[in-house]
Amino acid sequence: MLQVQGVSYRYPGKASPAVLADVSFSLGPGSLTALLGPNGAGKSTLLKLLLGQLTPSQGRLLWYGQAMAPQRPRLALVPQRSAIQWQMPITVRDLVALGTLAAPADEPRLAIAEALQSMGLASLADTRLSQLSGGQQQRALLARALVQKADLLLLDEPFTYLDPPTRQQLLAVLRQQACGGRIVLVSSHDWGDSLQGYDRALLLDTTLRADDRPDRVLERLQRP
Amino acid sequence: MSADPTTTAWWLLPLLMALLTGAMGGVAGPLLVVRRRVLHSNLIAHAVLPGVALALAAGIDPLLGGLASGLSVTWLAERLSSRRLPDDLGQEVVANTLLAASLGLGVLLIQALDGDVDLNSLLFGDLLTAGPADLLRAAIALGLLLMLVCGRYQQLVFLAVDPEGAAAAGLPVRRLQQLLSLATTLVIVSGMAAVGLILAIALYSAPALIGLRTAASLRGALGRSAAIGMAVAVGGFGLSLLLDSPPGPVIACLCVPLLLGSAAAPHRGKR
Repeated sequence: MLQVQGVSYRYPGKASPAVLADVSFSLGPGSLTALLGPNGAGKSTLLKLLLGQLTPSQGRLLWYGQAMAPQRPRLALVPQRSAIQWQMPITVRDLVALGTLAAPADEPRLAIAEALQSMGLASLADTRLSQLSGGQQQRALLARALVQKADLLLLDEPFTYLDPPTRQQLLAVLRQQACGGRIVLVSSHDWGDSLQGYDRALLLDTTLRADDRPDRVLERLQRP
Repeated sequence: MSADPTTTAWWLLPLLMALLTGAMGGVAGPLLVVRRRVLHSNLIAHAVLPGVALALAAGIDPLLGGLASGLSVTWLAERLSSRRLPDDLGQEVVANTLLAASLGLGVLLIQALDGDVDLNSLLFGDLLTAGPADLLRAAIALGLLLMLVCGRYQQLVFLAVDPEGAAAAGLPVRRLQQLLSLATTLVIVSGMAAVGLILAIALYSAPALIGLRTAASLRGALGRSAAIGMAVAVGGFGLSLLLDSPPGPVIACLCVPLLLGSAAAPHRGKR
């Protein structure tokens, strides 16, 4: 169980405005949640707080009732595309194998093969990462995250530049992960048809504007 | 002991030194290029000068002085970049300002100390005056660099391709970056006798680019880059003897055709 309790954050500097103000919510295992909001709403800052890269100015983050920092859950992150060095000489198989660094598997080859299979990348395993299409690259990053066997899976804008069928395919994999007992949180500034695939949607714009079923959050967004 | 042209194998020590320097630059280069740390390594190359000058004047090993000042300035740059000026513009300006200031401080120290420290050979190298101590230092630095690469290979790959994901997975990202900075400082100071502090950067850049563009793995890129680095360093040494010129500048100039070759080489990464 992840609990975010009254979390605020402002970057260092006396005059800097709050990026997050009094944000509270909790996520249970087996949940697939969309974190929505326009650019600059504080989504990436919230993810950095969850990752331990930033410390809340106020409030606290709890993992099963204990402070998050020392009681760190096993985390996996699929970052924004701009954070990846796509020109790195690495095959899809080797990229996915990096996940075993975080979670050593009894049979690493099997774990890697299963992740490749589940993302439909088995035939591209020996292809260089930079030779894949945008959707295939995103699936490769997700395959690596699957091998990490994380308790908390965070995805930062994973659907950018992806066509609707690929989005649906990725969302189905995320749903499987949630069904396996993981907490899956997906940040996105783009909402639409694929929002229906989530259990919950959090609408963030410095404060938490909505925390509800996706259809109700969509209704609220469409209201003038 | 310096190379003596009157002995029959006078060329052996400079040749070995050229080979080691080319290999060091070739192995370190791809690690820096994929992490977009070439400017950072250029900063280190300039930042070691004050420490090297002080160490030489004090009669202690220049490696120790270079490590101390290189790592201090690197620490200062990262501190200023992350705390005071945390954006891309700030980071570039911080690095270039400290780079110029380190060079300036080194020059001022050498003048003020009034010893027999040869600024030209520090900045641009002089293979023909390299001694066994230089060779030993370079061999140790290359050995330590290879130990880092072999011992932490997977972590370095993760850090290079996805630093945020590596941090989230619990990898010791900060320690890896510190180890990379330490290794970079070590190989720059150790290669000083061959190509000098300023020209060393050429051996970190062009061979790495070819290696990265043509290999299927980082391991392959390191091997290719090292082979190219050694070939350029030895070729530059030979050419400098023919032209009766200092080897460092010739080696640096030879890296330019490599860039053109890199553009023409089959790019494995292109779709």
